[in-house]
Amino acid sequence: MSQLLEAFRLVGAPDVLIAILASSIYGLVVGSLPGLSATMATALLVPVTFYLSPIAAVATIIAASAMAIFSGDIPGCLLRIPGTPASAAYTDEAYAMTRKGQAELALGAGLWFSAVGGIVGTLSLVLMAPLLAEMALSFSTFEYFWLAFLGLMCATLVARSSPIKAIASMLIGLLVSCIGIENPAGTPRFTFGITDLLGGIEPIPALVGVFAVSEVMRAMTLAEPPPMPRRKFGSILAGQWALTKRYQWPMWRGNIVGIIIGVLPGAGADMAAWVSYAMSKRFSREPEKFGTGHPEGLVEAGASNNASLASGWVPSLLFGIPGDTITAIAIGVLYMKGLNPGPTLFTERASSMYALYIIFILANIIMIPLGIAMIRIASLVLRAPRAAVMPVIVLLCAVGSFATGNNLFSVLLVGVFGVIGFVMERNGYPVAAMVLGIVMGTMVEQNFVTSLIKSDGDPLPFFERPVSAVLAAMTFAALLWPAGVWIARRLRRSAPAL
Amino acid sequence: MHLSDRITGLFLALLGALAAWGGSRLPGVPGQEIGPAVFPMVVGIGLVLCGVMIAFGIGHSFEEEEVDEISKAPGLAAHLGRFRGAAALAPPALLLFYVFAADRLGFLLTAFVVVLAGSLAMGARFRLALPLAIAAPLLVHLVFYKLLRVPLPEGLLAAPWA
Repeated sequence: MSQLLEAFRLVGAPDVLIAILASSIYGLVVGSLPGLSATMATALLVPVTFYLSPIAAVATIIAASAMAIFSGDIPGCLLRIPGTPASAAYTDEAYAMTRKGQAELALGAGLWFSAVGGIVGTLSLVLMAPLLAEMALSFSTFEYFWLAFLGLMCATLVARSSPIKAIASMLIGLLVSCIGIENPAGTPRFTFGITDLLGGIEPIPALVGVFAVSEVMRAMTLAEPPPMPRRKFGSILAGQWALTKRYQWPMWRGNIVGIIIGVLPGAGADMAAWVSYAMSKRFSREPEKFGTGHPEGLVEAGASNNASLASGWVPSLLFGIPGDTITAIAIGVLYMKGLNPGPTLFTERASSMYALYIIFILANIIMIPLGIAMIRIASLVLRAPRAAVMPVIVLLCAVGSFATGNNLFSVLLVGVFGVIGFVMERNGYPVAAMVLGIVMGTMVEQNFVTSLIKSDGDPLPFFERPVSAVLAAMTFAALLWPAGVWIARRLRRSAPAL
Repeated sequence: MHLSDRITGLFLALLGALAAWGGSRLPGVPGQEIGPAVFPMVVGIGLVLCGVMIAFGIGHSFEEEEVDEISKAPGLAAHLGRFRGAAALAPPALLLFYVFAADRLGFLLTAFVVVLAGSLAMGARFRLALPLAIAAPLLVHLVFYKLLRVPLPEGLLAAPWA
């Protein structure tokens, strides 16, 4: 109980409250601008978090990412351009509703079910994390190795591209993480005599480059989106209660699917939205209405992407394995602030964990008034010309990455990773898988090599402990899954021919 | 920059082979078999396998056909005509400029050039680009230098509050 009171005191500190409010507004604006994703909003926040207290730093990330995922719905609904990839799944549906004159209902559904999803996701985090923490206390390096490996495999499994290209992307990330002297012998590895590479490649410049610079590069070759017509909105929340009652079952399904996808390492909000939208269509009683401005899919997917955001923190806090690209950034901040992820976080720093839960709930509650305000001024924000926004983003990338180590080399890295990300994306290599490889590489190697040393090079002990055997089985299942799907498809295709 | 799977696959296989070879030449830990060489070799061999499979088009059936994204963009892309895809290189070029110029020119002047050039390259008129290139660096400097205490280089032109 005293822990809980302490948590409320931590969240109630003026700097934390200001940080939540400011980052909420920042998240809403960045998320609503097409081409600027929630991950990018979070990556650009990291240099700012250096200078905040631990709780305030985590609060900015939670608030900004939740708001950005919601406000990505706004341009999707009004312009048919998703503001963030997480809204892409139901953009056509929302736009169809706008054309039917139901823009308020569509935007309101995005807002209301985002908040509901966020709160349900938080509850899952509250319930799940301590239970898993107890189990995780008995984990050895074998289990951690399989867990990290499973996380990497999940990231490739859910990528919307060829699984082999996804695995290749992940391996590139692991290779990048090999650079530096942080290895079992402490010898400079792949540094090519460059002193700046001795410390290894930090995830932050790589993230900023891959998610922000490559996005600006893409914008250079695309025509400017059409300006938004000015319009007046009626009541935003009217009719949402009726929707909640009518689509109660899809809403819960969306929440649960979102939570599961969030917990899976590597898969985040955009995946949750795609899966939930597809599921909603498959199980709906009126699937023929989908695509014509039917709110059911919007309800389910809108709840799902925000639910995944909170549950993505479960593996991040427990094992230091990111649940999605946003928590991949958050893990770095947690380490920097002395809140090292691990099961003991829940016993030793319980008040900080409670504070984190409170921030999640708070952010999802203030999302509703702030979101309504954002919808009302959306036509103003969306009028900002791209030629004014993008150059400032480039400048912020440079200054932000410089601030992480007061080193111009990281600015260079941002540029290099921008080009790598751009080329990979163009050729169907998912960049999120590479980012996870970079973030988790050191951990995978450490547990892999320690386990090998313990077992004297014998692979058998990797499968001997019960939990590690289960995890290993799951990993191989994930690895063989695409092959199974491929064979099944082949069989189905050849069957009618017979 | 759309390359065929054969090219990217072979490139990855080559990269993997180099990584495995480079890894195998690393000095080990005396008296112990497992050292810094193991992980790069495993990753490198994996990359070789993936690269070869990609080059032979395995797994291609899972991909969604990419639409050619390049459309009529204003600014630099419009001037480049047939090579308008090259306009994408402007942002990393501006970052490169920042790396080399920041210490000599100072933050404000470098940032002015970066924002002005970036904005013009995206098709903005001078009426928008010039005020933006003056205001944005000042604002960024104020936030990062004053509030966050990042030691941005002063160079030739110092901000009034520095």
